[in-house]
Amino acid sequence: MKALVFERSLPRFAAARVAHVLGSSSRAASLGPLRLVDTDPPELPADGWVHVRPLVSGICGSDLATIEGASSRYFEPMVSFPFIPGHEVVGVLEDVAKPDDRSPALTAGSRVVLEPVLGCAARGIEPPCSPCARGETGSCQNLAFGHLSPGLQTGFCADTGGGWSTGTLVAHLSQLHEVPASMSDEEAVMVEPAACALHAVLGAGIAPGSQVAVLGAGTLGLLVVAAIRQVCDPSSLLVGARYHHQRVMALELGADQALEPEELARALRRRSRSMLLGVDLTGGADVVIDCVASSDSIRSCLAMVRPRGRVVLLGMPAKQTLDLTPLWHREISLSGAYAYGTENVGDGRRRTFELAMELTRSARLGRLVSARYPIDRFEEAIAHAASAGRRGSVKVVFDLAARPPRSSKGRSA
Amino acid sequence: MSPRPGFVLEVERSTPPTLFWHGEGFRLERLPAGRSRVIYAPEPARALEDPRAAIRHALDHPLGDSEPLRAYLRPGMRLTVAFDDVSLPLPPMQAPDVRQLVIEEVLELAAEAGVDDVVLIAALALHRRMTDAELLHALGRRVYDSFSPAGRLLQHDAEDASNLVHLGCTDEGEDVEISKRAATSDLIVYVNINLVAMDGGHKSVATGLASYRSIRHHHNPDTMRRSRSFMDMHHSELHSSNWRMGRLIAASGIRVFQIETTLNNDTFPDSFGFLQRREWEWSLRDRASFLASSSALERLPASLSRSIFHSIRSPHAMSSVQAGEVEAVHARTLENVYAQQLVEVEGQSDVLTMGLPYICPYNVNSIMNPVLVACLGLGYFFNLYRGKPLVREGGVVIMSHPTRSEFHPGHHPSYIDFFEHVLAESTDPVEVAKHEEAYATDPWYVHLYRTAHAYHGVHPFYMWYWCAHALDHLSAVIVVGGERDAVRRLGFRPASTLSDALEMASDVVGPSPTITHMRTPPLLLAGVI
Amino acid sequence: MTPASRALARVRRIVPDGFPWQAASWPASIERAAPERGLGVDYDTSWSRRYPVRLARAVLLDHMATPAVRALATPRVVGAEVLDGLDPPAIFVANHASHLDTALILSVLPPPMRHRTVVAAAADHFFDRRMKAHLWSFCLAAIPIERHRVNRRSAELAAGLLEEGWNLVIFPEGGRTPDGWQQEFRGGAAYLSVRTGRPMVPVHLDRTWRLLPKGGRRIRRAGVQVTFGLPILAAPGEDARRLSARVEQAVAVLGDESASDWWSARRRHAAGATPSARGPDWSSWRRAWELTSPSRDHPSRSGGAATGPPSGDLRWALTRQRKPSGA
Repeated sequence: MKALVFERSLPRFAAARVAHVLGSSSRAASLGPLRLVDTDPPELPADGWVHVRPLVSGICGSDLATIEGASSRYFEPMVSFPFIPGHEVVGVLEDVAKPDDRSPALTAGSRVVLEPVLGCAARGIEPPCSPCARGETGSCQNLAFGHLSPGLQTGFCADTGGGWSTGTLVAHLSQLHEVPASMSDEEAVMVEPAACALHAVLGAGIAPGSQVAVLGAGTLGLLVVAAIRQVCDPSSLLVGARYHHQRVMALELGADQALEPEELARALRRRSRSMLLGVDLTGGADVVIDCVASSDSIRSCLAMVRPRGRVVLLGMPAKQTLDLTPLWHREISLSGAYAYGTENVGDGRRRTFELAMELTRSARLGRLVSARYPIDRFEEAIAHAASAGRRGSVKVVFDLAARPPRSSKGRSA
Repeated sequence: MSPRPGFVLEVERSTPPTLFWHGEGFRLERLPAGRSRVIYAPEPARALEDPRAAIRHALDHPLGDSEPLRAYLRPGMRLTVAFDDVSLPLPPMQAPDVRQLVIEEVLELAAEAGVDDVVLIAALALHRRMTDAELLHALGRRVYDSFSPAGRLLQHDAEDASNLVHLGCTDEGEDVEISKRAATSDLIVYVNINLVAMDGGHKSVATGLASYRSIRHHHNPDTMRRSRSFMDMHHSELHSSNWRMGRLIAASGIRVFQIETTLNNDTFPDSFGFLQRREWEWSLRDRASFLASSSALERLPASLSRSIFHSIRSPHAMSSVQAGEVEAVHARTLENVYAQQLVEVEGQSDVLTMGLPYICPYNVNSIMNPVLVACLGLGYFFNLYRGKPLVREGGVVIMSHPTRSEFHPGHHPSYIDFFEHVLAESTDPVEVAKHEEAYATDPWYVHLYRTAHAYHGVHPFYMWYWCAHALDHLSAVIVVGGERDAVRRLGFRPASTLSDALEMASDVVGPSPTITHMRTPPLLLAGVI
Repeated sequence: MTPASRALARVRRIVPDGFPWQAASWPASIERAAPERGLGVDYDTSWSRRYPVRLARAVLLDHMATPAVRALATPRVVGAEVLDGLDPPAIFVANHASHLDTALILSVLPPPMRHRTVVAAAADHFFDRRMKAHLWSFCLAAIPIERHRVNRRSAELAAGLLEEGWNLVIFPEGGRTPDGWQQEFRGGAAYLSVRTGRPMVPVHLDRTWRLLPKGGRRIRRAGVQVTFGLPILAAPGEDARRLSARVEQAVAVLGDESASDWWSARRRHAAGATPSARGPDWSSWRRAWELTSPSRDHPSRSGGAATGPPSGDLRWALTRQRKPSGA
């Protein structure tokens, strides 16, 4: 099978880093540790595992950071090389699964979305750690242990394969969610990022009637807007977005106002009728969700949030240098939001993925998929994903359906 | 040779290109022959030979129902001298400023009479506070040093509730609320610079020393639509309202001794003399300085050109001064303003073109932002008429200005929000007015207006209301050479060249439209018959 | 190219033509303050018609100006036979596009006529400074004419010279065309003709504006055509205004002839369908575009006589000319 494989190679890491700094993502993709190779499909590691043939796989911001050598070394112990990236996967179940009490009944040929976190269940750890026992798989403590190689998710683990391949990957039955027939592949591929957004929004403590701001409107920013509209009741929802199409889409997904990022603080000041102390608002938003996570964006979020408000980092921040005095002085809560698991909603607890399926359907999130590329053109695909905003796109995906590579064409939005 | 009057030049094929102002620069444009005309301002009127003597004469020989100033001055009285702020004259004049000359003469009399309680107030209304340098320039070293350290040089604060007094309401229900210091004085002496026909009269005190509560009665879309134009007080609702207020102020026992001065049209110093000369009379030196300055300006960064232009001090000279009772004084002033600025123009045209300069009343020593561009073109220039507008109803205005979306964050903070927020929603003055209250009462703008050098939060709305009459009257506004996004945000249409703009205009008003170009500044007032 | 001419060309590239590099033209509707005494219409040109000066001028015109014009303009002359039957003195009435027009007309006149010809020149342009006044009255036997209004002195002078037997070259448009199209004729020439009873010879100069257009500085080589028409005399009772319109029409017909051929031009004239020489009422670029359209050139007619330029040459001149208007 053909797959993009990410190898551990210091010179290639270095080359990718240099290319990234010089501003060429396609160069980073071709020089970097990512290579398109013919390789054997992974074997089933244990009982309860099945083969899944990916149909569509998304390119995520964390994938880009990894390819460009920009991600943090923090992940090193949670990754095993060589791995096949791709954790936003829609695929077809290849084997007949032996039903198991913790997973839904799936048959060969079912379409599934992958919940990529490799928690205790997948790793065969019994009894599971306490977060896994509560269904909060995103916070699993055993990401490097058990019968699998280290890997926080499918797509970062040497044993499971990943979504960026034309063959199969292996998945534990607990990781699979059946896709209803009425849902298209394009919608289904948005379920995983939508689950991330929902998890962040549900964890942000957005009280009814509060003022919320979202900084950044790439895929995650837009999904956060949609999620807030779905599950919260803010008095106002403002979005700061660099590109015009992002602002248009943010408004369509339910933002009250979509502005240039520089305008966001001014709009919040106006709405909260607060004053300015230097660059910091004396009032400001109750919750600010940072979907950029650079030192500048974190600083401006700290400036825009009210004292004792909350800033949620949904983007992956890597290493940043910034002055946290306002955090200290204004008693701001700065929290992260990663992955998904089980959420408290209304009267009960539900899997984030189930909620994400509903959100994807009701907000028609499939429209965020702007371009599909065959795997042979991965350099273009990655360059496109890295400059999606500038090129008027949102989500770029690999189209892995069994079509002859010659005739398949990337469709550009 | 006596100064030549203004006139209307019919453009033929042999007519040389016409100078268009273009922000911090200028362009030479050819207007279509046979259907264009250019209105040239009159040449500068003769300056008063001895301005100080003229001022003394005016103070001793008041107009209307008024005693000479010295008759009002006695020991133990409260005297308040109010004066126009930095928005006048344009460009700021070379020292000595007219205000300095007049105030020095007034204070001379007050000193003679032994008046101790004298306060000077800059009549800001809702404008930004003047800087110390600006006050020093307007008043001169002697006045500034005598009053400023003693805390007797004040700037009007329309948000200082404890220093405002509500005098009542006019018959039409308009609140009259003015500075308490002024209202409780035995005499207010108001020192005006009447650069255009809009300035002065009852508007001086009733607007200059008033609060937002009072000003909003005449600064609103409805009033401005019924001011046709606000340069012609007899057809201006803006003035009717101010006159009602002024009469109420007089009726409540407050005595105003009005001093009005007019300036001649000598707007630019010699190095920029070509700007006020007719193109075919440009000497070798004029042509050389045009070429040198325009090619230098092209190459300089915008901020540098701006500081060059804002350092221009105009050689304006005082052409008349009159003092006494407000209405009598203002009538005489208007005659003098008309004598300097009025140009008779026959009939309206389909298109009105104008080159907008780098300055308007609200960006002295500051940045001309897009909202001010709109106000200068559609507020001021469009309204420089008496009778009927220069352009027919349903016509088109073409303005030439770079219209950069740059704002002075210190002077125009609420303009930024107005541009980003209000204009993004609507450019209809009535729709815009729905946000007025929120901006007027925003504590941050109030804070900046009172303590820093910011225009009041509501001021950008007034700029937009100023355009209301023009927006009603016109079917399109085109900006030549402006920043596209900014121009569109204003609700106007961008064009890269004048001929493109004329083509676009002919889509609206029909082929081969007639065109009038206002070659101003220097200022002119078109008497359209 | 010599180094000197290269240097000159470089300076010319830096210094463009026209306002504001040069003084602006004076709008016709604006009255001009009186020039220095003894200049303008008051300049006395009688010295330039004394015998020694005439002799010097004849040498200049015959041996320098005429060969130079022939080399540059390669004029093709049509209707020169009119001159043979002409009873001098006469008034040559021509359209005006270029400063070279005067030299061109003088160069195609037969020498005896050339030596007894004065040229009406704009008082405010050619006689505004003393050096210029001396220069033009010497070189071209120019006499100052007020172009925007009737001036008794200049009219007297011209009429007097006609009566003395001098031919007069006059451009009744009152100035060079700004864009290549003909302008309205002013009544001065017709007035002189009515007053002195001398005939007017309509002359049409084709394409001279390409040689040295108004505002142009560089002389370009271009093939031009000079067409003479039959002399026109005032009909009994005809006033100067009607006569002026008639001669303007005659020049227009010559222009049409120059652009097509004699027979079609006559037929169109008879049908009252001579195309307007003043050009269509279009925007300036379209007027320029129309003027440079290939259909206005007739390379087919340029063969044959040695006077015609090779068609390739003409094309070359055209494409160069068209560049700015097409840009």
